[in-house]
Amino acid sequence: MKVTLISIPVRDQEKALKFYTEILGFIKKKDMPLGGGNRWLTIVSAEWQDGPELLLEPGPIHFEPCKVYQDALMEAGYPYTQFDVKNVVTEYERLTKLGVEFSMKPTEMGTVKVAVFNDTCGNNIQLVEEL
Amino acid sequence: MTFYEKELHSIRRIVYSNEGQIKTVIGIRNYIDHNYDANLNLDVLSHIRFVSKYHMLRLFKKYYGQTPRQYLIDKRIEISKGHLQDGMSVTESCFAVGFESVTSFSTLFKTKTGKTPTEFQKEQLSRSKID
Repeated sequence: MKVTLISIPVRDQEKALKFYTEILGFIKKKDMPLGGGNRWLTIVSAEWQDGPELLLEPGPIHFEPCKVYQDALMEAGYPYTQFDVKNVVTEYERLTKLGVEFSMKPTEMGTVKVAVFNDTCGNNIQLVEEL
Repeated sequence: MTFYEKELHSIRRIVYSNEGQIKTVIGIRNYIDHNYDANLNLDVLSHIRFVSKYHMLRLFKKYYGQTPRQYLIDKRIEISKGHLQDGMSVTESCFAVGFESVTSFSTLFKTKTGKTPTEFQKEQLSRSKID
């Protein structure tokens, strides 16, 4: 067995694709129609294109418990998942300039530095830098 | 402050309160990052921070979740991938990251990435030709 995919729930796939590629810098990998306007839509890291794919899945629109869970995480400030970066402060500054909202500024936690932002698709995402 | 951020602060108090230990392990990790091609062992690593080798081993595992040796191997494999992508031979890549035996490098590479260095390189080079 191999881990090649992780999924993240989004409210609007097209909006998510724009945010994740144009703002965060991911690259679109797969885009297939699944009927009813839904897509199998995955993106990969630009600097690690054969790394795991991130599936932008429209779960919250079709499955109420998914929406409830996503809302609860958002409300509490909990990140849905996290991405590794070389420098959290640099990314924080770059993304802030692009209008991305952070609920937690870069904070040192022992051997890591983390920050949390809103992905505009219903999720908090944590950035992490290993120190 | 979000609920999540409060939780993080409480984890930091419990897990990351010993600044001296954190400085020590961060120093050792940085040393590995810059000297992965050297012949590193517990004696060398513990001398950098003037701690006993088993204490250092325990601390590293406690804060990074893996032993310095495991961390070093992952680092070397990751960097050797870059060398192979750049067209460096398997033997050269092996020595460039500090491994001493091409056979054990190849075996380790296959265990970690699912492909032998030769297979990995062929795949990467043919991919760049198609692009």
